[in-house]
Amino acid sequence: MFNEIKNQFATNDVIIKRDDLYKVSVNYERVFSLIDFVGDSYNYKTLNAITCTDWIEDNHFAITYMLTTIDRRSTFMIQTMVSRENTKIKSLSQKFKQAEIMERDLAEMYGIDFVGNKNLKELSLENWVHTPPLRREFDTLEFVNNHLTFREGRDDNVDTKVEAKRLRAIKKAEKEALKKAKEEAEAKKIQEENQDGK
Amino acid sequence: METGFLQEQRTLEGDLNSKTSHKNSVDYLMNWFRSRSIFVLAYGTGCGAIEMPPTFTSRYDAERLGIRGAATPRQADVIIVSGYCSYKTLRRIIRTYEQMSNPKYLLALGSCTINGGMYWDSYNTIKKLEDYLPVDMYVSGCMPRPESILEGFIALQKDISNGKASSWQKYEDNYEFYRKNQEAVLGKTVEPSYEADWYLYDGGL
Amino acid sequence: MENKHITIFHGPQHPGITGNMSVELDLIGETIQKATTHVGYLHRGFEKLVERRTVIQAFTIVCRICVPEPDPNEANFAMAVEELAGLEITPRASYIRVMVLELSRLAAQFLWMAGQSGSIGLYAVGQWAIADRDLILDLFEELTGARVYHMYIYPGGVRRDLPEGFLERVSKLLTYMKKRLKDYDDIFINNASFKNRAIGVGIVTKEEAINNGYVGQILRGCGIKADVRKDAPYLIYNELEFDVPTQTAGDVYARALVRRDEMDQGIHILEQVVAKMPEGEVMVKMPTHRKFKLPKDDTWVKVESARGEFAYYMAGDGTENIRRMQVRGPSLVHAFTLLEKLLVGAELSDVALIMNSLGICPPEIER
Repeated sequence: MFNEIKNQFATNDVIIKRDDLYKVSVNYERVFSLIDFVGDSYNYKTLNAITCTDWIEDNHFAITYMLTTIDRRSTFMIQTMVSRENTKIKSLSQKFKQAEIMERDLAEMYGIDFVGNKNLKELSLENWVHTPPLRREFDTLEFVNNHLTFREGRDDNVDTKVEAKRLRAIKKAEKEALKKAKEEAEAKKIQEENQDGK
Repeated sequence: METGFLQEQRTLEGDLNSKTSHKNSVDYLMNWFRSRSIFVLAYGTGCGAIEMPPTFTSRYDAERLGIRGAATPRQADVIIVSGYCSYKTLRRIIRTYEQMSNPKYLLALGSCTINGGMYWDSYNTIKKLEDYLPVDMYVSGCMPRPESILEGFIALQKDISNGKASSWQKYEDNYEFYRKNQEAVLGKTVEPSYEADWYLYDGGL
Repeated sequence: MENKHITIFHGPQHPGITGNMSVELDLIGETIQKATTHVGYLHRGFEKLVERRTVIQAFTIVCRICVPEPDPNEANFAMAVEELAGLEITPRASYIRVMVLELSRLAAQFLWMAGQSGSIGLYAVGQWAIADRDLILDLFEELTGARVYHMYIYPGGVRRDLPEGFLERVSKLLTYMKKRLKDYDDIFINNASFKNRAIGVGIVTKEEAINNGYVGQILRGCGIKADVRKDAPYLIYNELEFDVPTQTAGDVYARALVRRDEMDQGIHILEQVVAKMPEGEVMVKMPTHRKFKLPKDDTWVKVESARGEFAYYMAGDGTENIRRMQVRGPSLVHAFTLLEKLLVGAELSDVALIMNSLGICPPEIER
């Protein structure tokens, strides 16, 4: 099976991850014919998920299609790299009905255009006008700081190491003050005793 | 001296009958009625809703305190904002809250409504509920146990019977402040609109 | 008289909805012509938050992805991290994980029972089921310190060992459950009012179930023996003996019977786990506990939750953070492709019935 895929789809990137999980990386042009091929010849007929990973440093998205056999014993990951800018991908919604909702999710979160999917409206967000949130350049903390107010007293941004040091210093100072007070009290006591003795 | 369940009941309800800060006996009676029959709107807005069924069913049995569910906002006294509140839900909560009839109370569950909780850096949840809607009682925890929810209800009952819980009044008095904050996150259009035109649509019913 | 279309929203504020979501229904009279699902009311951006956190920080928030049964999330997260980092957990940790997963499955089935019976007005079942579910939550509280969000299944094992005498309490609960479940048969499963409402409603065919990627009870309710625990065994499920119950009708009642049989199987599995529980450590030694690094690699793991296959895609990039974690919950496809199709032609009063029988859980759809 793997030799056939290697020859027909010009790829050397076939990894056996587990007994039941294989991964193939191919060029974008060959993805859809490969999906048809493994479906027809090797029974990988169910599309389980479409995932997308943003590799901003390499300037591409890694789109992965998860296909499962009918007996659900084996999963095939078909991965392809597409450009991050103005991404256009052919939709699978004609072949698999469930692809419609998966593509809708990715389209919203990454701003990918799935050509051929008629139902790409907003899924989770409402009236969202900023960068699609799952793209790496979208900084959620910056967004929150710009748009929302926190309750006072919430110090999540403190560096834990610095904070621990500060707390330790406070504790130490308290301890020393206590010790000093104790010593003074003892000294006073001794003085008083001495006075009584006199 | 009672023990067990009866004692618990007495301890919980001990302060409900205090006569302080009532204007007259009619007020006292009204508040007494209100505090003893709390209808909670069936709207699970967040993950805290998973602890609502145990609170309202046989084990914790909130009904012994006069607390039970109501299906529609018009019949409900209390709306529970159970946990994190995304923008999309906030819009519905505002809409539902404004549909409820006075007097109405708002109980907020979980750390997320207090200061953002786990989702303090999430781009889609609000961090401080009292900026957008008036809150009568916060119940902390992630998520609050049924006992804490009951405690919150009892504290609310005490406030009601003392005439202190008047958040709906606060909302009406400071409507502009709340509206400004709501529009800041939801945009100018807090949809859907209030014009009930569906019964006129297409020639009427 | 001319037929009039009315559009109404079933949810998000509605007693008969399975969480904070809504279905927009286009009606003529009582019959549904078109249904559109709306989700997103619970979107918190987990997948973004995880990217900002280290592994140990992300571990505390993943369980919040699915509220009715958080443990499959923890198990998936832990398994994905272990696979990427090359960790091998101890046998005792495996057994404890299976115990936690099966207990949580049982708790989720009770919650389903309460919802399904509530959707047709059998409120007494709900009172019972929630109270019996609380007995399981009490055990969880003893084991993990929390009723709902346990944060117990940690990458590399489980967070702490079993308390003293815990297994005896589990087997005591199982004895009680076995006796108790017969009462549920009488009041709910064999109840004529449930049968009349459920038989022949919401039928899914075999071909459709395979082609459209449905999972869990929807597959098993129409005669396909699909269960991740059997098909791709994880943890120690291949050492345990259990059946995958199936029905052929594919309607709401068939799915209810499948769930009911699964509860028996769950108790059977738990009995074996309690009997076979090995001694030993529960956590592997990890030198870099707080600065845990994942290599630049990706994986796809799945477990069987109470509602079907729950899968995670995880990619690391050689730093302390997770590069990408994508959640594929069981009800993602059910809530859209399936629900929108099943509701067409159904009565308005059957909406809650069908939704509950599909086990739709919105927090895992929108994350």
